[in-house]
Amino acid sequence: MISVTPNASNVETLDLANLTPEQTALEIRNLNLHYGEAQALYDISMNIPKNRVTAFIGPSGCGKSTLLRCINRMNDLVEICRVNGEILLHDKNIYDKNVDAAELRRRVGMVFQRPNPFPKSIYENVVYGMRLQGVNDRRTLDEVVERSLKGAALWDEVKDRLNESAFGLSGGQQQRLVIARAIAIEPEVLLLDEPTSALDPISTLTIEELITELKEKYTVVIVTHNMQQAARVSDQTAFMYMGKLIEYADTNTLFTTPAQKQTEDYITGRYG
Amino acid sequence: MNKWFKTGKPYIWLTAGAVSVSLIAVLGLLALIAWRGLSFFWPAAIHEVEVRANDGSTQVIIGEVYDREEIPIERLQESGVQLDGFEGITLERQLFKVGNREFVPLDFMWVMEPQIIRDETPKDLAVIERAKDGNFYGYVVDVLENGESVANSDNIRDVLFERIERAVELNEKAADLQQGEIGAINYELNQLRLESRALDLEGKLTEAEQQRIANEEQALRDAYQELEKELFEYRDAANRDSVVMRDMRGMEVTLPMYRVLDATFPNDMGVFSKIGHFFVQIGKFVTEDPREANTEGGVFPAIFGTVFMVLLMSVIVTPFGVIAAVYLHEYAGKNAVTRLIRIAVINLAGVPSIVYGVFGLGFFVYMVGGSLDQIFYPEALPSPTFGTPGVMWSAITLAILTLPVVIVSTEEGLSRIPSTLREGSLALGATKAETLWRIILPMASPAIMTGLILAVARAAGEVAPLMLVGVVKSAPMLPVDGNFPYFHLDRKFMHLGFHIYDVGFQSPNVEAARPLVYATSFLLVTVIVGLNLTAIGVRNHLREKYRSLEH
Repeated sequence: MISVTPNASNVETLDLANLTPEQTALEIRNLNLHYGEAQALYDISMNIPKNRVTAFIGPSGCGKSTLLRCINRMNDLVEICRVNGEILLHDKNIYDKNVDAAELRRRVGMVFQRPNPFPKSIYENVVYGMRLQGVNDRRTLDEVVERSLKGAALWDEVKDRLNESAFGLSGGQQQRLVIARAIAIEPEVLLLDEPTSALDPISTLTIEELITELKEKYTVVIVTHNMQQAARVSDQTAFMYMGKLIEYADTNTLFTTPAQKQTEDYITGRYG
Repeated sequence: MNKWFKTGKPYIWLTAGAVSVSLIAVLGLLALIAWRGLSFFWPAAIHEVEVRANDGSTQVIIGEVYDREEIPIERLQESGVQLDGFEGITLERQLFKVGNREFVPLDFMWVMEPQIIRDETPKDLAVIERAKDGNFYGYVVDVLENGESVANSDNIRDVLFERIERAVELNEKAADLQQGEIGAINYELNQLRLESRALDLEGKLTEAEQQRIANEEQALRDAYQELEKELFEYRDAANRDSVVMRDMRGMEVTLPMYRVLDATFPNDMGVFSKIGHFFVQIGKFVTEDPREANTEGGVFPAIFGTVFMVLLMSVIVTPFGVIAAVYLHEYAGKNAVTRLIRIAVINLAGVPSIVYGVFGLGFFVYMVGGSLDQIFYPEALPSPTFGTPGVMWSAITLAILTLPVVIVSTEEGLSRIPSTLREGSLALGATKAETLWRIILPMASPAIMTGLILAVARAAGEVAPLMLVGVVKSAPMLPVDGNFPYFHLDRKFMHLGFHIYDVGFQSPNVEAARPLVYATSFLLVTVIVGLNLTAIGVRNHLREKYRSLEH
């Protein structure tokens, strides 16, 4: 059995099946997803609590990233992708016809597996979302840049070279820049799609510390293939397998006393 | 042997050989046209040779050696040339450029080498470059002012140079006046005539309007009278001096100074003054207007026309090509119709360029231009404004010709941009259009520039379609001048490519035109290379700026 140290922070355990509206950030209901003929997600239902870190784990191809990308409708870009079911954000289905995907993505930010800064300066990268909303006032933008970079624990490293190209940063710095860019527009939910898989161990540690801080202001959903990481940073964990949600529980519970055999097999390293 | 093949070495030799052949071909071509073209500007020595004809009579020839060739004696004998006492199979003959076109039947003469009994290069021989009738070769005898001699044998060269400088200056002033202010008045008079005609057509030509136009016209005519007087003054002043020359017949000839552009004594020049003269001649070639049916003078209007037309074409083709590529790549459905369109676009690049010329003439010039004339310029009819070949139609025709290149390379650029950047932008709440405008297009700009470079390279060398839609042998005015609206896109223009064809094949004086063909070719290549290097510089700058996440 691999050594898994469950989350040290002692947060109050929630009854995930029956969250109060104040505790809920997202409700996923009976979500099915098809890529053409092939079904990728089977009838997923889960509640994601507010101001907490929720991790999706599972072997490669289990649909955890697909599920994450449903939450801000990134899958809309895939032409052959069809989604059935509901995801409620503030009791409103984000797949309703009258929901503007761009508006939704402003409220549900996303950070990808590989750092993807734009070919612009560090400053312009951070204010990109603000400029899209038509904010061009220099003072406001300066404040946003400082707040976001501090929020992403990058300010001290880059404050003297804000106008230099973002490509000059290291991989870990770039990924924190992308996080700063995402939190600059103050989303409610932050989706992290394997944010540390392309980084070295030290950068990974920095990002993990950052995630724990981020949950004070944002609801964080993280996909990871690294079980130790899920155990370290998340408050609750969902284990997925072959497009199905196998088990969803408190991180402590899931890693110490999994209810399902498949979960136990996975976290003890028998497959995946 | 078999083993040697297996090592792969033959393939290295083969591929390297192919590269070398291409390289040698390109460099050889450039070297040939550069040598032939540039040597024309080098001040050649002037020979004075005495030739004895078969009948024993002798003749003095003054001129520069233009060409030499070895020919078989047999052929000469067949063509009726009497040659007595020459041994050997071949003999050399030399082509002399003797100039003095108005006094000799031919300004080029072949001389058999054995017939030359004396060959000298006296230091006093001068070449007089003239605005009309080409070069004059001979000895400077005297310089006259109002028919009176003003020079003696000590200071004759200084006096000559000083008087030439004065005459050239006056001529320049006269030309400036004629092209500048007098040209502007003529332009305004024409505009006034068109205005009056337009008012007449609309039925608004009232007495008052007629009066106003007549007044303005009178004012312009008065101004014209003044300027004309000034112009004649310059001309008379330039006409004051003349130079007396002794030519190869031994006769003294008086040349009016206002036609003299320059005088040189190449036999008396050191290497450095020859180099200086060489560059001055090149400078004149690229800055002056052509003379004598394009066989002399410079090619400035052709350089200007080529560059202007290519720039105009770039301005038209880039937005169209980029927009079309964006639609094809980003918005069009990925289905059979799109694929068909893409194949059609690529095939457009293979259509012979003359076909585009015919299309441009029929569609743009006659249909579109004719309709524009009907709608916007009825007052000028029946003489067409846009319904005739012009620089705008040339640029548009070449823009269509080069559109596929821009579309294809832009599309390639768009598909090279990592999808993570698109997603990154969309995840921040950008719409597809915002992502395109702020991230994708800037990042695709090096590819767009590549397309433009290829388009410019193709368009600048294209001549055939232009002959149908706007190029002329000699354009009286540049498409850009000081008269409102400054850009006259309806005008015809000159083009280096066409200039080569015209000088090489339509010229009345083949021998005189030949070096110009090489010089103009070299210049055309230089212009194209210059345009390309500029575009490549811009592209490399953009590439550096948008160097993306190539892990």
